Amino acid sequence: MKHLPKHLRPRWRYLGVGLETWPTTSIGRRDFQRALWYAAGNLLGDPGSADAKLSVLSFTFDDAVGEGEAVVQVRRAHVEPARAAVACVSAIDDDPVGIRVRGVSGTVRACEERYMGRAGGPSRQRDVALDGADRPAVIRGDAVDVSAESGHVGATRLDLE
Amino acid sequence: MYEAVQAYPAGDSTVARLASTAARLGYSGLVIRTRSASRAMEPTAIGDEYGIDVVTGVEIDADDPSAASGSVGNFRPDFTVLTLRGGSNALNRFAVESDRIDVLSKPMAGRGDVNHVLVKAAADHGVALEFDLGPVLRATGGRRVQALSDLRKLREIVDHYDAPYVVSATAASHLELRAPRELRAVGEAIGFDADAIDDGLRAWKRIAERNRHRLSESFVEPGVRRGRYGDDAGREGDGREGDGREGDTGSGVDR
Repeated sequence: MKHLPKHLRPRWRYLGVGLETWPTTSIGRRDFQRALWYAAGNLLGDPGSADAKLSVLSFTFDDAVGEGEAVVQVRRAHVEPARAAVACVSAIDDDPVGIRVRGVSGTVRACEERYMGRAGGPSRQRDVALDGADRPAVIRGDAVDVSAESGHVGATRLDLE
Repeated sequence: MYEAVQAYPAGDSTVARLASTAARLGYSGLVIRTRSASRAMEPTAIGDEYGIDVVTGVEIDADDPSAASGSVGNFRPDFTVLTLRGGSNALNRFAVESDRIDVLSKPMAGRGDVNHVLVKAAADHGVALEFDLGPVLRATGGRRVQALSDLRKLREIVDHYDAPYVVSATAASHLELRAPRELRAVGEAIGFDADAIDDGLRAWKRIAERNRHRLSESFVEPGVRRGRYGDDAGREGDGREGDGREGDTGSGVDR
């Protein structure tokens, strides 16, 4: 179909979104998109969700450390409802996720330049002492994710001394 | 803006991890609700490392008012912020009528409910009621609908009596923390004023500052502090500061 004249095209904003999970969680673009639509549909209803649109344009996720980022396209006048919907993504496929909007840009390129590419750097695995027992942990930067019997424990280097 | 969280061992993340995440999300302070974590941590060391004000606190989770009352007496002198987990009418009632409690947490959880009598009492005694955004962020289906309707009821009564309140996402791990702007957006989506959410997050700070002042050595009672007469700091400190804080939290009563 012939594309719309410029003044009738929708105006967009691009959310730079950062994601965090426990290590060894794997999340794909489709999973994230589904969770986002589900959250928007539940919080804003079908009309609000359709208004905000919320489509994932680019998505990267490092399974080993559980960290990722995405560019999410939303309609210009609906950035705040979209932000609320993003905040309500609490789990993807039952894996808890931490999520935040790093910033909002007017173009995809500006969004990528300003808010993407902040991966936590290399990670490594080693055993750390927590509560008097040695447990396997994934360390990336200052963050230390320890696997305990009851599940994961989020710690930092300060806790290891 | 401050947030209040459960830390390891009650939650899934240590105080340091929560502090580093909260600082990154744009919070200037963090109240710890878990007693053992509050006791074991070094708030200044963690605070200096991550550039955030870490406040010791405890959340009393008792079965009935008499047990809660004992805990209040035991913990009040040791912790800056004292919250009590509501969830039954008897506990809610006990909390809003105790001057020594700062915050009634999750008043609508479980079988808990509030009415005009409780909210008026909370305003009189300077006990802040908590708007718990946790279920809005993390629950689904009927439980979430219930939580939303409870929040609305609480909001309407609190608005009417101008009672003190706090807002929290009641996070129990660093993954459950959300940035202040996100909470504001969620608040707006569910019918709060955007400013109300900000005020509720700032209220934690006011409570922490007021209690630190009261727990400090020089404090005798509101308007009275030990120090050199005519001391600049002393003169400036009392009257004015005290009035501002008491107005903010709706409390004129010493705890």
